[in-house]
Amino acid sequence: MSTWQDLVTASLIGTERAVVPPADTTGLLPAVDETGDPAAVLLDRAALLTAARRAGRRPGHAEPLPACEPDPRPMVSPAAVARLARILSREPSSLLIEWLSAVTARGLRLPPQFLPALLDRARRPREWLLPNLIAEAGGPRASWLAGLNPDWDFVLAATRTGDEAWRLGTAGQRRAYLTALRARDPSAARELIAGSWAAAGPQERGLFVNALADGLSLADEPLLEAALEDGTDWVGTMAAGVLATLPGSAFSRRMTGRAVRCVRIEHGARGTRLVITPPQVAGQTRLVLDVVARTLLRTWTDEFGLTAAQIVALPAGDWAPALFIGWSRAAVAQRDHDWMAALIHHVLTGRLSGRPAEIEALRELVRAADPALSAPDALPPLQPDAPPVIGSALNVLRFRYEMLKELDDDHSG
Amino acid sequence: MLALASDASSLRAAQPLATGRSWPLTGAADGSAVWGECRGSAAAPYRTVVDLSGPAYRCSCPSRKFPCKHALALMLLWSDGAVGTDGDPPDWVASWITGRGGLGGKTSPQDRGVPGGRPPGPTPRAEQRAARVATGLTELDRWLCDQVRQGLAASQRSSYRHWDDIAARMVDAQAPGLAERLRALAAVRYSGAGWEDRLLEEYALLRLLATACRDQAALPPPLRDTVRSRVGFTVRQADVLASATPVRDHWQVLARRDLDQDRIQTRRVWLRGQRTGRPALVLSFAATGQSLDDSLIVGTETEADLAFYPAAVPLRALVAARYDTVPGGPPSGATIAGLLAGYAAALGQDPWLDTWPAVLAATPARDPVPGLYDQAGEAVPLHPGAGACWPLFALSGGHPLTVAGEWTPRGLWPLTAWDQDGAVVPL
Repeated sequence: MSTWQDLVTASLIGTERAVVPPADTTGLLPAVDETGDPAAVLLDRAALLTAARRAGRRPGHAEPLPACEPDPRPMVSPAAVARLARILSREPSSLLIEWLSAVTARGLRLPPQFLPALLDRARRPREWLLPNLIAEAGGPRASWLAGLNPDWDFVLAATRTGDEAWRLGTAGQRRAYLTALRARDPSAARELIAGSWAAAGPQERGLFVNALADGLSLADEPLLEAALEDGTDWVGTMAAGVLATLPGSAFSRRMTGRAVRCVRIEHGARGTRLVITPPQVAGQTRLVLDVVARTLLRTWTDEFGLTAAQIVALPAGDWAPALFIGWSRAAVAQRDHDWMAALIHHVLTGRLSGRPAEIEALRELVRAADPALSAPDALPPLQPDAPPVIGSALNVLRFRYEMLKELDDDHSG
Repeated sequence: MLALASDASSLRAAQPLATGRSWPLTGAADGSAVWGECRGSAAAPYRTVVDLSGPAYRCSCPSRKFPCKHALALMLLWSDGAVGTDGDPPDWVASWITGRGGLGGKTSPQDRGVPGGRPPGPTPRAEQRAARVATGLTELDRWLCDQVRQGLAASQRSSYRHWDDIAARMVDAQAPGLAERLRALAAVRYSGAGWEDRLLEEYALLRLLATACRDQAALPPPLRDTVRSRVGFTVRQADVLASATPVRDHWQVLARRDLDQDRIQTRRVWLRGQRTGRPALVLSFAATGQSLDDSLIVGTETEADLAFYPAAVPLRALVAARYDTVPGGPPSGATIAGLLAGYAAALGQDPWLDTWPAVLAATPARDPVPGLYDQAGEAVPLHPGAGACWPLFALSGGHPLTVAGEWTPRGLWPLTAWDQDGAVVPL
């Protein structure tokens, strides 16, 4: 409407310098007073035209989007949708990963309105597992969305088998491609990593180490041994963590050797107890803890001829906290459910000193332990005088138990 | 509790008073009454009593707002647990409570007025306010014309004070509605291409409002009510309940939008009557951090009596009485042409109307701009301020949906969608 544009131009310049353009408001009554202050006349005409333009607005046109193909999987229940909203806003990614894995395993479909938030979450650095999980759980709708927003193109890389995602893709696409390849063909992924290592930055070397952790075998050892000396500390630490869970690796043998010299069992007149001989260097507690954390848990049951529950219950004096934390980390890294259950039992029988590092270890345990521990009567009751932090840590286990039960109900119902 | 405030401005006024410092004396009687003395501008403190069973209020301040800011502040303090419950009520509290039939006595809505009542017709206070507003309107008109005389191009470089100053003068002139519109104008120049158009539109509509308010005696009563409420004259909830004929219907709760300004949250809930097809808007207010009224849940259907505020296009309503609430299905969606025609008709009654409830049966699209198109292939844009609206696209997957939201001159602000299975999803 040229008349409106003329008014806007005149108002920008100001009626001190510009002439008020004549009104051409066919079919409308003229503004009441056409003779007064030019500024007032301009505003009155503009008011008339504003109402006329708003009321007379014509529809526009739009280019339809391609329709997404249907996803035959049944939708998760409203209760699970509400839980997903809570997990997305308040909980760490480990819980999201567990929820998504459970949804995929049960052949359920995600509520599509959450896909954008999930896809954005998967783009965060060091989210190694989320991209492919979301691509799979999100199904055709996630691929459809990825076609609309280049930020989410990793979804397409995860479902594509060609290597152009690796050669030409963004960081997200490369991550998705490598994780999918490792799941499909571990040795092909290993060769790809070996060939790409020298040119990779720290973030990507971290991705490599993480990718190797899944489907780990002794064939991966040379690569991981080399990564121990990585110039970026956290990459080396990650590599050590992965090697420690690899039975038969030189690293795990070294750790086992140091561990059995460091922690011994003693059957004395006052009963059986653990005796710790720390390495003769500074930072002893830290070292004992690290050695225990990186030792295969099998070492202890073999060495002492006792079960995990029996070992955890042995008195160890001042070293008890370091052992608890070390064993907890080892149990989580090695995904050893016997040990995790034994350690949580131990906490419930009230023998935790309650130091922040112990509570932190407990938090890791309850996020990784078998949620079936929260089934009725699976665990002893919490001592009434237990610190509240222990209660809230155990609530995490209960949350996970209910979360999976809810999805089972969806699945069977 | 804060839903008791008659509007956002009285709640805003109550906020700074809700601290122990303003109240040298407070007390409460086991959940049935709260009282206190508030330091004000007058030499003697204001004496405020709230009977929680009504609730009913009394305050010695001259405000005609009901509840006044002192009563609201006192309730804020009390709900924060900052009012002790020990000690007997002073005589002035006891006498008022006894006069009302004792602590915890039954209260009928008629009791809520100031004891003794007020003779009909304009009070001296109302006349004083009308005079102040009239002066403010003249000043605003002069300011608007000055802007256009000097040229709006200069506004692009102005600081926020340019608009805040004139907004502050409208607050002094007791025209808070105008002040709010003016304050919002400071951001227009950052609103992207076409900011000049939008600034001129707003200035033009403001002058129209000022002119209309000045000549309000000549307006038909419903339009006069619209003009007065847009300028900032509030209508007491009790008056709305007393004068409006309640509209009984099964109200579908279509959409909800929360806005946060100046430490006050405003919740807008859009309803539509199943039988009457009438749109309605229920507002509630709360201080930031406090929870808003949650009683109307999007996607449900509530049988209720609504009392509409008087206006040329009556939208704002109070829930006068509520009956059953049931889970509702998707509302019937209009075409784009239907939406635009409905808005045009409403604009004919109220040219300032810039937020209009929309329910469309439509499909989201991204090109040439993010928008919605209907079966006839006609489209409207989404409001740029609503962001990328990815959840709406994800829910659709390129298929039609029912979408409810607010239609504005800049486009549709989507708030709720119903998927192909009819399940409701707040966006």
